[in-house]
Amino acid sequence: MINEPYNAADDGKLIQASLDGDTKAFDVIVNRYRKMVARTVKGMLGDSVYAEDVGQDVFIKLYHSLQDFRGEARLSTYIQKIAVNLTLNEIKRRKRFFSTFSQKGNNEMYEYEVPDIDTQERREAAEIVNKALQAMDPKFRVIITMRMLQGYSTKETAEILDLPLGTVLSRLSRAQEQLKTILKKL
Amino acid sequence: MNASEIKRIMLRSLDNDADPSEVAEIVERETGSVDFKAGFSDRVLAKLAKPGMAVVREVDFIRSMNIVFYRIAITGVAAIVLLLISIFLMEGSLSFNSFLGLSGTNDDSIVYLLTGN
Repeated sequence: MINEPYNAADDGKLIQASLDGDTKAFDVIVNRYRKMVARTVKGMLGDSVYAEDVGQDVFIKLYHSLQDFRGEARLSTYIQKIAVNLTLNEIKRRKRFFSTFSQKGNNEMYEYEVPDIDTQERREAAEIVNKALQAMDPKFRVIITMRMLQGYSTKETAEILDLPLGTVLSRLSRAQEQLKTILKKL
Repeated sequence: MNASEIKRIMLRSLDNDADPSEVAEIVERETGSVDFKAGFSDRVLAKLAKPGMAVVREVDFIRSMNIVFYRIAITGVAAIVLLLISIFLMEGSLSFNSFLGLSGTNDDSIVYLLTGN
């Protein structure tokens, strides 16, 4: 039971309350981290119809694994790991499906929805970012999503992706090369 | 912000010496905030409340099984078609005896094979 305003409660109290069956506490967790998850999922899948489903799966998986959360890492890192894993699984799944049943390329795997953005200039900028990200190799896409959309440092990116720092640095460099090539075509 | 400027910022975000949090702020300001549609948390909680969603891990397994099934099914159907064609070419028909490899034999030769007389 939380004896203070839910929005002011820290993650630890909200997790304990959620484990005790307090759905309002879990609702606060979802609302606290939904934008973070949206940036990862939509950054990697595009603003597609699948992004919302994966986003929901992230929080459902979180709910079912709360009892395993030991508090050694921050809750945001834990959620981010779930989001990255589920999104990469979705990319693999769609890639397998389309390689078996369709001639569509990887960039056409998702049906894009028109983002709800207020100005033409922002819409164009969002389109460039979205198109460039979707054209990238998934292993580079995840790196650029963590850096450019989430603002994580190289060390934080390595921790979330469970990769050695050297691997992340090498992928950053290769991602930059690939991005240069892609952006020239846009 | 024009197109070339956003491209420059994207490339800058991957520089090792860049401040990623600063870049992320600029990108969010210039491209708009990314979020799910309104009512997202309600939909998550509604899914959690569904008895079927308690076994959400099984959904992943079932999805994977669907893909595996289609792959096996396509290969299996191709193998069956090839088998039928080869039986038809060798036996000249697709009768039940052809499947068992009994066409073109007579009772006497079967008795001989079984008894040696």
